[in-house]
Amino acid sequence: MTVQLASILGLWGSYLPSFMRGLVITMEITGLGLAVAVVLGAILAGFKLSKFKALRVIATVYVDIIRSIPVLVLLFLAYYGLGQLGLTLSGIASATAALGAFYAALLCEIFRGGVQGVERGQREAADALGLGRVSGFVRVILPQAVLRILPPSTNQLSNIIKDSSLVVTIGVADLMARSYEASATTFEPMDMFVLAGLIYMALYLVIARAIGRWELNVQRRRG
Amino acid sequence: MSSDVVVELDGVRKCFGPRVIFDDVSLSVHRSEVVAVIGPSGAGKSTLIRCINQLNTFEKGVIRVLGHEVYGTEEGRPPLRRDDLRRLRTEIGMVFQTFNLFPHLSVMKNVMLAPQRVKGRSEAEAAAQAQELLEMIGLSHRKDAYPRQLSGGEQQRVAICRALAMEPEVMLFDEPTSMLDPELVGEVLAAIRRLAVDGMTMILVTHEMMFAKEIADTVVVVADGGIAEMGPAKEVLSTPKTERARSFLERVLLHTGGDTGPQAAASEGGFDAASGGFDDPTLSWSREVDEKGLR
Ligand SMILES: Nc1ncnc2c1ncn2[C@@H]1O[C@H](COP(=O)(O)OP(=O)(O)OP(=O)(O)O)[C@@H](O)[C@H]1O
Ligand SMILES: [Mg+2]
Repeated sequence: MTVQLASILGLWGSYLPSFMRGLVITMEITGLGLAVAVVLGAILAGFKLSKFKALRVIATVYVDIIRSIPVLVLLFLAYYGLGQLGLTLSGIASATAALGAFYAALLCEIFRGGVQGVERGQREAADALGLGRVSGFVRVILPQAVLRILPPSTNQLSNIIKDSSLVVTIGVADLMARSYEASATTFEPMDMFVLAGLIYMALYLVIARAIGRWELNVQRRRG
Repeated sequence: MSSDVVVELDGVRKCFGPRVIFDDVSLSVHRSEVVAVIGPSGAGKSTLIRCINQLNTFEKGVIRVLGHEVYGTEEGRPPLRRDDLRRLRTEIGMVFQTFNLFPHLSVMKNVMLAPQRVKGRSEAEAAAQAQELLEMIGLSHRKDAYPRQLSGGEQQRVAICRALAMEPEVMLFDEPTSMLDPELVGEVLAAIRRLAVDGMTMILVTHEMMFAKEIADTVVVVADGGIAEMGPAKEVLSTPKTERARSFLERVLLHTGGDTGPQAAASEGGFDAASGGFDDPTLSWSREVDEKGLR
C-alpha cells in the first residue's frame, strides 16, 4: 500500500513540471476566453436592454443560436472552418474565440438578469436626483447588479475551465493534453487523469474562493 | 405664470394604456406653500406627483416648474431634451414611500453622490454639505452606516437629506411615513415640519390627516379621475364642500373611529369644525389608515 502510494507520488512528481506548463496554457485559454465572454456578453446584455428593437433582436438571435451549439463544434468551426475560409487561427486563438463566443451568450443572460433585478426604485431615485443615464448606471445600478451577477458567473467560470480541455482535440498542449500524453507513455491513465482532475479542481477552488471572499467582504461592508 | 408660482399644472391628463387615471388637473403651488394631496388608494396621488418630475409621462396638458415647461406627449410638441429633463429634476427633490436609499453606499455617500456627479461639487464640499444636513436632521452620528443598518425612520430622514443636498426649489413627498412603524413616524414628520417652517415649497401625498391639517396650507383631494376638491387645508378637512371629498373623509374617520373607540365613532365622521374637527383623536388612527394604504 505505502509502496504503491510512493510510486504514484513519484510518478506524479516526475510529470508535475510538464503538467504545470499545461496548467499555464489552460489558464491562458480560460482567461482569454473569459475576457472575450465578459466583454461580448456585456455588449449583448446592453443590446438586450436597449430601447432599439433591432439591437434586442440581434442579441436574442445570437444567444439562442450560440448556446444551442456544443462548444466543441464552435471550436472546430473556429479552427478548421475558418481555416478553410482563409482565416487561419492558432489553437489558442480558436479556443479563445469558441469559448468567448459560447460563454458570452450565457453571461449575456446573467448580466441582463442582474441589471434588471435591481429594484426599480433605485433607478427612479437616481433619475429623481438628476443623475444622468451614465452616472445613474455606473454609480447606482452597476454596483448593485455586480453582487447578483457574481455567483452565477463564478459557476460559468468553472464551466469555462472545464471546457478549455476540449483543445486537446486540436493539439494544444494544455493540462488535458499533457495528462493524455503522460498516460500514453506511462500506461498509467488512472494516476495521470486523477492528477489532472485534482489540478483542475484546485484551479477552480482557488479562483472561486477568491471571488467568494471578495463578495463576502463587499456584502459585509454594506451592512 | 405669476412670479412666485413654483409648480403649475394646467389641464393635465394621465393614462395608463387605455385607462384614464385623471384628467384636466390644474393646480398652482406658490413659493413656500405646503400642499397636501389626499384621496383614496389608487386615485392617482402618486402618479400625479410623479408627473411633476417626469418619473411618469402624461398625455395632455402642461406642467411648469419654475422656468421649465413639460408638455403632454399628445400635445404635439417635441419631447423634452435629456439635458432639460435633468435640469428640471435637479430643481425638484423627491422622497419615496420606500426610501430607495442606495444600499451600496454609506449614509454620507448617499447624500454626497448627486451633488458630486450632477453639480460637480468637490468631495470636500459635498462632504461638508452632507455633514451639515445630517446634523440638522440629527443623524450625523450615523454617517458611516449603511442603509440596511438603519431603522426605517432613519432611512427616510437620510433620504430627505439626500434630496435636500441638491438644493431643490420644491420637494415632493409620496407617503413618506406609510412604510414606518408607528413609533418612527414622528421623527420623519418632525423633519418635514422643520422644512415647512424654513419655507420649503412642498407637495406631500399623505394619509396623516392630522399632520396635513397642521402643516399644509392647501389640501387637494384626488378622487374619481381628478381633483375632487381643493382649498385651504382647515376648510377642506373640516368642512368639505363636495360630496366626493366628504365621503372620502368620512370613510377615513369612520374606519379609524371604529378602531380607536366608541366616542370617535359616535361623532359622525367628526370633521365638523365645532367639535374640533381632526384635532381630538390621537395620532394613532391616521397611522392605521397608513397601514391600510400599504396593501
Ligand atoms: N406603471 C403603471 N402601469 C399601469 N397602471 C399603473 C401604473 N402605476 C399605477 N397604475 C395604476 O394607476 C392608478 C393610480 O395609481 P397611484 O399609485 O398613483 O395611486 P395612489 O393614489 O398613489 O394610491 P395609493 O394611496 O395606494 O398609493 C392605480 O389604479 C394603479 O393601479
Ligand atoms: Mg401612492
